[in-house]
Amino acid sequence: MRTALFELGLLAVAAGVLGAWIVLRRLAFFSHAVGTATFPGLVVADASGISATVAGLAVALGYAGGVERAQRAGRVPGEAATGLLLVAALATGVVLASDVFHSGGAVDRLLFGTLLGLSGGDLAVSAAAAVLAGAAALTLGRAWTALAFDPAGAPALGIPTATAERLLLGLVALATVAAIPAVGALLVTALFVVPAATARLFTRSVTGLVAGAVAVAAAEGAVGLYLALWLNAPPGPAVAALGAAVFAAALAARSVA
Amino acid sequence: MSSAVAVEGLAVGYGGAPVLRDVSFSVPPARSVCVLGPNGGGKTTLFRALTGELRPLDGRVQVDGRPAYVAQTERTRLDFPVSALDVALMGSLAHGRWWLPAARQERDAARAALERVGLADEEASRFGELSGGQRQRVLLARAIVQDTPVLLLDEPLAGVDPASAELISALFDELRSEGRTLLVSTHDVRSARRFDLVLCLSRRQVAFGPPAEALDQASLEATYGSELIVIDDDGPLRAVTVQHHEH
Repeated sequence: MRTALFELGLLAVAAGVLGAWIVLRRLAFFSHAVGTATFPGLVVADASGISATVAGLAVALGYAGGVERAQRAGRVPGEAATGLLLVAALATGVVLASDVFHSGGAVDRLLFGTLLGLSGGDLAVSAAAAVLAGAAALTLGRAWTALAFDPAGAPALGIPTATAERLLLGLVALATVAAIPAVGALLVTALFVVPAATARLFTRSVTGLVAGAVAVAAAEGAVGLYLALWLNAPPGPAVAALGAAVFAAALAARSVA
Repeated sequence: MSSAVAVEGLAVGYGGAPVLRDVSFSVPPARSVCVLGPNGGGKTTLFRALTGELRPLDGRVQVDGRPAYVAQTERTRLDFPVSALDVALMGSLAHGRWWLPAARQERDAARAALERVGLADEEASRFGELSGGQRQRVLLARAIVQDTPVLLLDEPLAGVDPASAELISALFDELRSEGRTLLVSTHDVRSARRFDLVLCLSRRQVAFGPPAEALDQASLEATYGSELIVIDDDGPLRAVTVQHHEH
C-alpha cells in the first residue's frame, strides 16, 4: 500500500508537469493513444516474460515516432494519424491477447492497472520519469510554452521547435509507460490529462498550471487509491472516475463563480 | 551585406506545385515594404520562405540575420494562461540560451518593449483578455524584444481598432528609423502609400517599387483581378478599395 502511494506520488510529478504542456499543446488525445497503443507490447511481454517496461517503451516510442512522422509528412492530419495508429495497435493487442497468447485475466490488469505487485523496478522507472519531466520542464518549459502559444511564429524565435516537440512526445511516451503498472494502459489519461485540465480552469500562469496539475494529480492519486482499496477495484478506474468527478465539479464551480 | 532582404527567382510551395513563383526583389536596410495582395496571393507563403520555414523549390532567399515574425493574430490562442509580459518575454528566447530562465535584463527589455507599444499598464493582463489591437501590439513587443534587423509582420492592421492602428503605424516609422527593415503584408491598398516600397503579389510577383510606380492601375488589376473596385477617379492611389468575397 505504501509502495502504491509512493508510486502514485512519483507519477503525479511526471504526469502533472507533462500534463500542463499536454493540455497547452493539445496533445490530450495523443497521450491517451500512446498509453493505449502499448497494449500489444504488454500482451506479448506478459506471455513471453519480457520486461513489460521495455516492451511498453518500445511500442510507445515507436508509436510517438510514427505519429510525429505522419504529422511531419503532412499527408495525414495529426489527430487522424493518432487515431489510425491507435485503432491498429488496440486491434493487434486484442487479437494477440485472445487468439495467440490466450492472456485471459492478465488483460484486465494490463488495461486497468493493479495495486499489488508493483516492483522496485516500477518505482525506479516512475522516479526516472519524474526526474526527467522536472528537468525537461526547467530547461524546455519556455520553449514548449512559446511553441504551444504560437506554433506559426515560434520557429522564427530560433528555438529548435522540432527537437522540443520530439522531446515532449518522447517524454510523454516514457512517462505513460511508467504509469501503466499502476493505472493501466487504457486509463493513463486520468493522470496526465484530467488533473492538468482541472488545474487549467483556475490558473492564470503556466507555472501555476504546472504546480496545480501536480497537486491535483497527487491528491486524486492518493484518494483514488483508497477508493480502489475500499471498493476492491483496480486503481485505474478509481482514479479516473474520481478525476472526472472533480473536473465536473470544478467546471461547475467556475461557471457559478 | 548591401541589402537586408534579397530574393531571386523564388518559387515556393507546400509539397506540390509552387503557390508563389517568379519573385525577385531586393530591399536595402532601413526600408519599409508593403507586401500587397489578395488572400491566397502568397503573402504568408513569402514570409514563411523568408523565415526559412519553407524551403524554396527554386531560386534564392537571403535575409540579414534571422527575421522576427509576427503571424496573423487570429492564429494565436486566446485561452492561453500567459500575461502580456510573458508573451513579450518570449522574444528573448531568440537571443540563444533559451534553456535558461529569463534573466533580469531580459525582463527589463520586455517591459521596455511593452512601454513602447503603449501597454506598460497591461503587463500583468492575460493575453486573451486584451483587445485585438492590444494583442497585436503585444506581439509587436515580442518582435521588438527579439531585436532583429528584419521584421516580418503578417496583416498586423487587420481587425485592429483605429487607435491601435495609428500607434502601430507610428511604431513602424520608429523601427525603420532605427535602421530596421520591415516587411508588412496587407490586403488594404490604401495603407500601402505609407511605405517606402510596395511588393504586389498574386501567386507571382506583379510589381515592386516605390508606391508611385508599383501602385499603378495595371499592376493593381493584375494583383486583385476582378476583386478590385475603383470607387472614384481621384487618382488611383487614393481611390481604390478592395472588395472581399472571402470567408
